[in-house]
Amino acid sequence: MNGTLLFQTLVDGLILGGIFSLSAVGFSLIFGVLGVVNLAHGVFILAGAYIGLWLKGALGLDPLAAIPVVFLVLAVIGGALQRTLVSAAVQRGSLMTSLLITFGASLILRDLLILAFGPDIQSLSSTWLLRTYHVGGVVIDGARATGLLASLVLLAMLAIALHAMKVGRAIRATAQQSFAAGLCGVDSNRIYTLTFGVSAGFAGASGIIIGMINPFSPFDDAYWTLNAFVTVVLGGVGSPVGALLGGLMLGEISTLSSQYIGPRFPNVFIFCALLLMLIVRPNGLLGNAYKASV
Amino acid sequence: MDAFNGRIPAGIWGLSAVLLAAAVMLPFMLSPFQIRLAQQILLFGGMAVAWQMLGGFTNYWSFGHTAFFGLGAFAAGLLAQQLDPSLSVAVKLAIGTVFAIGLALVAALAIAIPVLNLRGIYFAIAMLAFAEILAEITKTFDAFHGTSGFPLPALLVPGLTKVQLFYFLFLLLFLTNIAVFVWLRRSRIGMGLTCIGQDEDTAAMLGIPTERYKLVAFVLSAVLTAIGGVLYGYSLGFISTGSVFRIDISLNLILYTMLGGIGTVAGPIIGAALMIVLTQVVLGNLLDLHMMLTGAVLIAMVILAPKGLMGLARKAWDRRRGAAEGRP
Repeated sequence: MNGTLLFQTLVDGLILGGIFSLSAVGFSLIFGVLGVVNLAHGVFILAGAYIGLWLKGALGLDPLAAIPVVFLVLAVIGGALQRTLVSAAVQRGSLMTSLLITFGASLILRDLLILAFGPDIQSLSSTWLLRTYHVGGVVIDGARATGLLASLVLLAMLAIALHAMKVGRAIRATAQQSFAAGLCGVDSNRIYTLTFGVSAGFAGASGIIIGMINPFSPFDDAYWTLNAFVTVVLGGVGSPVGALLGGLMLGEISTLSSQYIGPRFPNVFIFCALLLMLIVRPNGLLGNAYKASV
Repeated sequence: MDAFNGRIPAGIWGLSAVLLAAAVMLPFMLSPFQIRLAQQILLFGGMAVAWQMLGGFTNYWSFGHTAFFGLGAFAAGLLAQQLDPSLSVAVKLAIGTVFAIGLALVAALAIAIPVLNLRGIYFAIAMLAFAEILAEITKTFDAFHGTSGFPLPALLVPGLTKVQLFYFLFLLLFLTNIAVFVWLRRSRIGMGLTCIGQDEDTAAMLGIPTERYKLVAFVLSAVLTAIGGVLYGYSLGFISTGSVFRIDISLNLILYTMLGGIGTVAGPIIGAALMIVLTQVVLGNLLDLHMMLTGAVLIAMVILAPKGLMGLARKAWDRRRGAAEGRP
């Protein structure tokens, strides 16, 4: 086995995994705190990429600089969706109905994306991202290096916010036991809206990074939603560390199987890993960050 | 609520007989396009009834029923290519159906044992993953011809056009699905499943063989869905992974059921009829808006009428009867 090739594959998997992690962390947070599986997650990611594209075209804003704007826009959309539809569904029906609501929302949002931007494949790449770097025989291009770095920075920011800030403590408390958190003066409805908004914001930010590396179209949303789910099931529910672990595993499974078994096999392996983990340990390797592990 | 296995009222029998007679005469009066619409309502409405055998009673909502649909279509289609070419197409279809039933039985049993231990959302997603795995396998291995697709033999019966013929085949499956569902609902199993839907742990504690009942419902549902796949494959004449392993089929079954009213026989059928007519006739020229409309209907139903149209009708009926008897 060729050592450099193996190393290159591992590095590629790491980079892919970092991006998967960021794209899944919002999904993971919503699932951990609200118990809702957000099937509109993939559309949030794509919406982020498209808003970045629009900002680039209209204002000439660099994709990386657009991340805060995109984060805010998506946070408002996500918060509004939770406040109006998701909370109503959870109150009236069960958590299962929230699947239907978010799926319905994803269909509408995707159609809006198609109407606004057309069904074509787009890309966010900039010229300065195309430079390649050679580090000890391993080739890394600027876009991927930037993407990995930005992903890690954003994940670290979320981890710090969740653990060190007051609002992060309130989010964790609500996830553990919303009733008891309410007794301590936490407005759990506000926390739910906030969590949904922040998660949508992270999805949008990851959309920018995905757009810098890969071309995207409005029809990719199911792929990203499923990826997020696989990441959460592999790593663990509700925490940035779980998302990071799951994302890295997903990235490595994907690059190793396509390098050493065949370029058409990663999906089969990924879904088999998903099914296996669901059966063995449905809350991921790290379990649920907020509840006692099953 | 009536006793779960009380006598079916004469009115229901009469209505069913009238509807059946109308359904048999319909294909001789409609245009081919209209027959094709009716075909889809029968096929997908019937499959939604089959989906309900587990999802209608309990919270085990399969988001991957297209796995069995595609399995049936691929099993029958690939078998037809291996069979002696001199056999008549009807025999091929019959052998293919038996093969697909056997295969769906084995697949459902194999997947049920791990997957039925998962609850709620985890079950839903595991089924979604199962459907994706089957779809990926048919695309990845060349033996299945999933990417390029392959033809199925054309079934011909003298005196009937192709649309009429498949209309009647779908009608047959539709009636079978309804009969099985009604039998299931009125049996001990249906009662047990309803208990599982209310509280699975309590049901198990009270001595209901929960695992066995879930398994029976799941396997019945899977097998009937696979037969739907066989017939659909033959009606298309050419199938690929993209035409039978479709997430939107899985989701539409749930949508039809939710729209009409979960747990009822008429609900999914009304739901299917409404959505199919709405998307294909009313919005036929506005293809861009299909998905948006589906999404909007889904959201509106969940928020405004969680028990579906049948639930709304029952509420209105109760209110009128209450008013007639002078109750508030």
